Amino acid sequence: MSAPTVLTHPIARFVARRVLYSLIVLVGVTVVVFALVHLVPGDPVRIALGTRYSPEAYETLRSASGLDRPIVTQFFGYVGSALTGDLGVSFRNGDPVTVTLMERLPATLSLGLAGIVIALAIALPAGTYSALREGRLSDAIVRVTSQFGVSVPDFWMGILLIALFSTTLGWLPTSGYRPLFSDPGGWLRHIILPALTVGVVAAAIMTRYVRAAVLEVAAMSYVRTARSKGLPPRVVTFRHTVRNALVPILTITGIQLATLLGGVIVVEVVFAWPGLGRLVYNSVAARDYPVIQGAVLLIAVLFLAINLLVDVLYAVVDPRIRLA
Amino acid sequence: MSTAVLAILVVAASLTGCSTGNRVDLGEGAAGSLVVAIAGEPDQLDPHKTTAYFSFEVLENVFDTLVEPDADLQMRPALAKSWEVSPDQLAWTFHLRPGVKFHDGTPLTADDVVFSYRRIIDEKLANADKFSAVTAVEAPDPATVVIRVSRPTPNMLTNIGGFKGMAIVSRRNVESGQIATHPIGTGPFRFAGQKSGDSISLVANPDYWDGAPGVPGVTYRFISEPSTALSALQAGEIDWTDSIPPQRVRQLADDDSVTLAVTPSNDYWYLALNEAHAPYNDVRVRQAIAYAVDRDAIVAATSYGTAKVNELAIPQGNPWYTPYDRYRQGGVDKARELLSEAGVTPGDLDLLVTTEYPETVTAAQIVADNLAPLGFTVKIRTVDFATWLDEQNSGHFDMLMLGWLGNIDPDDFYYAQHHTDGSSNAQKFSDPEVDRLLDAGRVEIDHAARVADYARAATLTADKVSYIYLYNSSVIQAWNPALTGYEARRDGAVRFRHASLNGSEGAS
Repeated sequence: MSAPTVLTHPIARFVARRVLYSLIVLVGVTVVVFALVHLVPGDPVRIALGTRYSPEAYETLRSASGLDRPIVTQFFGYVGSALTGDLGVSFRNGDPVTVTLMERLPATLSLGLAGIVIALAIALPAGTYSALREGRLSDAIVRVTSQFGVSVPDFWMGILLIALFSTTLGWLPTSGYRPLFSDPGGWLRHIILPALTVGVVAAAIMTRYVRAAVLEVAAMSYVRTARSKGLPPRVVTFRHTVRNALVPILTITGIQLATLLGGVIVVEVVFAWPGLGRLVYNSVAARDYPVIQGAVLLIAVLFLAINLLVDVLYAVVDPRIRLA
Repeated sequence: MSTAVLAILVVAASLTGCSTGNRVDLGEGAAGSLVVAIAGEPDQLDPHKTTAYFSFEVLENVFDTLVEPDADLQMRPALAKSWEVSPDQLAWTFHLRPGVKFHDGTPLTADDVVFSYRRIIDEKLANADKFSAVTAVEAPDPATVVIRVSRPTPNMLTNIGGFKGMAIVSRRNVESGQIATHPIGTGPFRFAGQKSGDSISLVANPDYWDGAPGVPGVTYRFISEPSTALSALQAGEIDWTDSIPPQRVRQLADDDSVTLAVTPSNDYWYLALNEAHAPYNDVRVRQAIAYAVDRDAIVAATSYGTAKVNELAIPQGNPWYTPYDRYRQGGVDKARELLSEAGVTPGDLDLLVTTEYPETVTAAQIVADNLAPLGFTVKIRTVDFATWLDEQNSGHFDMLMLGWLGNIDPDDFYYAQHHTDGSSNAQKFSDPEVDRLLDAGRVEIDHAARVADYARAATLTADKVSYIYLYNSSVIQAWNPALTGYEARRDGAVRFRHASLNGSEGAS
């Protein structure tokens, strides 16, 4: 769209611009989240004190948490320290929010990435195969199976997988998490079942997108031309069809990955996985405002980063797309 | 589609071989440690500030109190080896056990006790009401603590030792700001580390005054999904859990690979009607509702029969138990009679329940069904606990359901809930006779007279329907049969100090 420039590499310009937009989005997210957590009914002081306390205890904790200050003062105080990387401390245990988030991030990234790899490993071949065999029995089988996968509740699938692979066969642990770098074997053993659960559900959704994308491209006239030129079917399939279907596939992959990173609370609960989803859930229950705000900001950053990555990849897979 | 899955499974199988029961080694915990699963993550580890049961499941094993309840909930020596009360009942003198050390090696002195209690009182912490009669806490010498009170306090021992919320903490730990995340106590295990969202590990304290623990450590994993926790127990990954689906209890009872405990507890569940709202200010309307509620159906639906119907708070078997079954016999006819006597036309009833305690959501549907024949249209309002507390506090409800957990002394059961000035009297119940009895029970030294006071007060709270008492729930826990020296307690305290695995006794 914009005129090409010789001063900087287009991708660098593009990235710089998008980072700037992302910062604006982040400011917006901060304002909205801050307003929302304060508007939602429920008082963090009251939940911390439980059901039996004196009015003095209430006032003491309220002022110690800084909640007695005007909300605008609280907001600017928060933004001011957030800009320096200080997201405050948890109302519940006084831990720095940044530290807690960094502790949870590896588990979330592990599960999201492993899940998307499994989803792609299933959806790409299944969707392509199904599209190329459109209308035949094998196509119907893939479509029915993926419909089934979309419909299965993830907690139920998780419980079934535990019952089979942990309780009955004894191959894999039921639950828990190990860090990749300190215990790679443990990491792999613990991630298989949860990643399979999120991966299979994501695969079911993605298979349908892949199939639709491949079908659309296969109907294009250049595919017909390629075929009529006498090119071998393999070349037509992979060079002309699948490659051109990659843009919509990338889009849905990005969306799915962002969803997985944003928190798969149910799967985290079933497998006792220490990810961001459970952290947000528990923090909302406790109205732990600093942790909710910090976690939502982190998730927003992940979303924006994935979007940016997907946009850059568009240009890589399809050189006709100009980054602007 | 299936090839990719299969490939992954093959990798998985080769990785795991035939090793079942992959046990946790967190690095921080010692080998051979007990691995247990609790149903949620502690909010914080400062015993004076947390109110979460998950926190106390851990802190029970890290901290001590001056005295502590034994299995029958009688108070016995802990950090105090003995005590005496002055003849006028206004001074309690505690003699500390010699040689006790905090986990950081500093010796326990009377100053630590004074510091701990003053912290609760001066910072007006959640448990400050336990010290409402206390005028001074003194340390005449390093081994002696004197607590002075303004009135006789027969429940002093349960107040200071009933649960670990009254723990003796280390001044240095508090002043460094570390106690919420790295607590230092005098208990059988010391805190070793926490992994956010995953686990907490404790290591045995070999110098513990009640003998060195029988296991080198305890790792608490947070498994909130009960079916996962149970699978982990059956797979041998954990040794103990209280995250158990109640519908599986009957099946577990027949399972030899698991030891199951269903122990009657002091916990009780109730309905309360907002007496600031008409027509619930009329005692006959409240009684009508108390007659109409089907407690047996509620017990069956919420606990699969593991709980026990009780029309008062304190369960059978407890020394403070009072028999009472007024409402069970009346039923709907009696309820209709009372309503017409009151001349009230029932309408909508706003019933407030919370997802935090799923039993309240289940019971609400039964209550709605029970009250429909009387003409009440029960509108069930299901909210999260933070909202529930707000609504309760501001009186935005006609009826609510909740439970009280872990009470020991009758003052804990009744005063805050039913006294006109009680801090938890959200239903706005007020009765001069109940107030008088509750005030008298607080200072009554004669045990038999005190029992009589509370029996009368309890009966009145049910007769006049401050609460509609429903049932006492059970403490439900399951463990690996190789775990010995552990018993489920009726106050829900989880103590691993004498536990050992495979019968291998520790140094105690």
